Amino acid sequence: MGEEVMVAVPESVLKKQKREEEWELAKKQELAATKKKNAENRKLIFNRAKQYAKEYEEQGKQLVQLKREARLKGGFYVDPEAKLLFIIRIRGINAMHPKTRSILQLLRLRQIFNGVFLKVNKATVNMLHRVEPYVTFGYPNLKSVRELIYKRGFGKLTQQRIPLTDNSIIEQGLGKHGIICVEDLIHEIITVGPHFKEANNFLWPFQLKAPLGGLKKKRNHYVEGGDAGNRENYINELIRRMN
Amino acid sequence: MAAAARPLVSVQPLPGSLNDMSTDHVTTVALPDVMKASIRPDIVNFVHSNISKNSRQPYAVSKKAGHQTSAESWGTGRAVSRIPRVSGGGTHRAGQGAFGNMCRGGRMFAPTKTWRRWHRKVNVNQKRYAVVSAIAASSIPSLVMARGHRVESVPEMPLVISDSAESIEKTSTAIKVLKEIGAYPDAEKAKDSHAIRPGKGKMRNRRYISRKGPLIVYGTEGAKLVKAFRNIPGVEVANVERLNLLKLAPGGHLGRFVIWTKSAIEKLDSIYGSFEKCSEKKKGYVLPRSKMVNADLARIINSDEVQSVVKPIKKEMKRASLKKNPLKNLNVMLKLNPYAKTARRMALLAEAERVKSKKEKLDKKRKPVSKEELAAAKAAGKAWYKTMISDSDYTEFDNFTKWLGVSQ
Repeated sequence: MGEEVMVAVPESVLKKQKREEEWELAKKQELAATKKKNAENRKLIFNRAKQYAKEYEEQGKQLVQLKREARLKGGFYVDPEAKLLFIIRIRGINAMHPKTRSILQLLRLRQIFNGVFLKVNKATVNMLHRVEPYVTFGYPNLKSVRELIYKRGFGKLTQQRIPLTDNSIIEQGLGKHGIICVEDLIHEIITVGPHFKEANNFLWPFQLKAPLGGLKKKRNHYVEGGDAGNRENYINELIRRMN
Repeated sequence: MAAAARPLVSVQPLPGSLNDMSTDHVTTVALPDVMKASIRPDIVNFVHSNISKNSRQPYAVSKKAGHQTSAESWGTGRAVSRIPRVSGGGTHRAGQGAFGNMCRGGRMFAPTKTWRRWHRKVNVNQKRYAVVSAIAASSIPSLVMARGHRVESVPEMPLVISDSAESIEKTSTAIKVLKEIGAYPDAEKAKDSHAIRPGKGKMRNRRYISRKGPLIVYGTEGAKLVKAFRNIPGVEVANVERLNLLKLAPGGHLGRFVIWTKSAIEKLDSIYGSFEKCSEKKKGYVLPRSKMVNADLARIINSDEVQSVVKPIKKEMKRASLKKNPLKNLNVMLKLNPYAKTARRMALLAEAERVKSKKEKLDKKRKPVSKEELAAAKAAGKAWYKTMISDSDYTEFDNFTKWLGVSQ
C-alpha cells in the first residue's frame, strides 16, 4: 500500500506545474500593481475635475462681470473671436464636386449628420468657406461639448472605434499628452489647448441623429432662413436636438 | 558510426538448415535507411494508378462495324424519320435504319480506337519515391495489419530470415519455414480466400480472385527459393534489385507483408543509398527528404524550447459590453468622473437652498404688514427724500422752495 503512493511523476508534468506557478505569481503581482496605480489615478482625476469645474465657473462669472462693467460705462463688451468650432455635415453624398468632396473627407465628415470639432485658423476657415453649402457650424458651449463627449464619445485605438466607457481607454490613447480622463479631454477640447490636434483626432467623428423637429431648409444658408453655413451660437440649440 | 546509430533487426534462424547457423544463434542486421524514408500514400497512389495502366492490352470495336451497308436517307415527305435507311428489298433488313448510334445494327457512338493512350509515363524520381515509401511502410506493423495481413504471430517487423532460406528447393520445406517464422497464417488466409470473382470478369478470363499473402524478397541472383515458394497460393517472390511497386503496394495501398532474406536487406543500403550518400546502383539518387524531420507535434509543443518562450493562457476573454449613457446613469458617470458625485450633490444642495430662500422671501412679502413696520417704512421713505434733495442742492434755488416744501 505504501509503495503505490510513490508514483513516478513525469518530468514534463513537474516542469509544467512549476511554470504555471510562476505565471500565477506574476499575474497576481501585476494585478496588485495595477490596482494601486488605479487608486492613485482616481485621486488625481478627482482633483483635476474639481479644478476644471472651478475654472469653468470662474470663466462664466468673469464674462458676466465684464459685460456688466461695459454696460455700466455705456460701452459694449465684444466677445473674443471663438477658437473652437463644431461642424455638422447636413447634406448627403450624391452629386458632389470632387474638390469639395475631398475637403469634407479631410474634415472627417464622410456621412450625413457627422460632427467634428475644429480649431479656428486661416486654413480651416478657408476650407469651411468652400464647403459651406454642405455643412452647418458654430461655436459650441461647455454643455454641448460635455454632452457630446459623454453620450456619443468614441475613441480611435488601433484604427478601431472604441466607446469611451472607461478612463483607461483615454489614457491608452492620449496618456502621452497628459490627458488621462474624460474631464481632461473635455478641457483640452474646449480651451483649445496645446494638444488639441491629438485629442480631437483621437475622437472618432460624432455620429449624431437627425435633428428632432427638423431642419429649416438645407438648401439655403442660415442667414437666408435655411440651415447651411455659420450659425455661431445657435449651433448649441441644434446640438441639443441632434445629440 | 551511422550503422551504430541505426536500430538493429534480428535475423530469424531457420530450423532445418541449422548446420550453418549453429555457431551464431541470432545475428543482427542494421536497419537500412530506406525503412526510415517518409511514407507518402498520395505519391504511392498516384504512381500506382499510372503504373498499373502500363500492362493493358488495347481493345476496340471493328472499324467497319455498322458501316457495312449502303443505306441512304429517304428524305422528307414519306411520313418516316429522316435516318438513313437500308436500300434494296425482299428482306427484313430493307428500309431499316442504319448508321446511327441510335439504330439497331448501327455503329456505336465514338467507336473505340486502338490508338487510345493506354500507357502512362511517370517521372523516374516519383517512381523511386513510391517504391521507397512502400518499403518503409512494409516495416511498420500497424500499416501491414491495416492492409489486412495476418501478422500477429510474426516475431519482428521487418521480418528478416537467414540466407539459408535462399537454397530451399522443396515447397514442403518452404511451407515449414513459413510456419516457423509465423508467416503461415497470412499464406493460409490467401489460400482460403480463393473464390470466383463476382461480375463479368468471370467470363473475361479473370475467373478467380484471392487475397495477397507475403512477399518474399531475396538477394542473390538465381536463388533456388523462387521455385520453392512460387507455387504456394498467395505467396510472391521478388529479387531485391527489381522491386515492383505493384507488388509492394497492391491496389495503391501501403503495407504489404514483406519477408526479407539477410542478403536482400543488406543490399538495400547499396541500392537506395541513404539520406546523404548517393545510391550505388541508381546514378545520383538520394533518399527523399521529409517535410518534417520530427513529426511528433505533441512532443515539440511540450518541449522546453517552445514552452520556455510561451505566454500564459488567457482564460477570460473580455468582450465589449453595452455602452451606457453617463448623462443618465450615475454609476457609469462616476466611473468616468469621480468628481461628478460631489458636483451633483453641491448642485442639489444649492438648488434646495435657492428654493428655500425664494419661498422665504415670498412668504415675507405675502404676509400682511404690521402697523409699526408700515410706519417705519413710511418714515424711512420721507428721510430718504430729504437726503436726496439736500444731496442735489435743490435748496439753493428759490424756484423750488415753494413746491418742494423744504427749507435750508
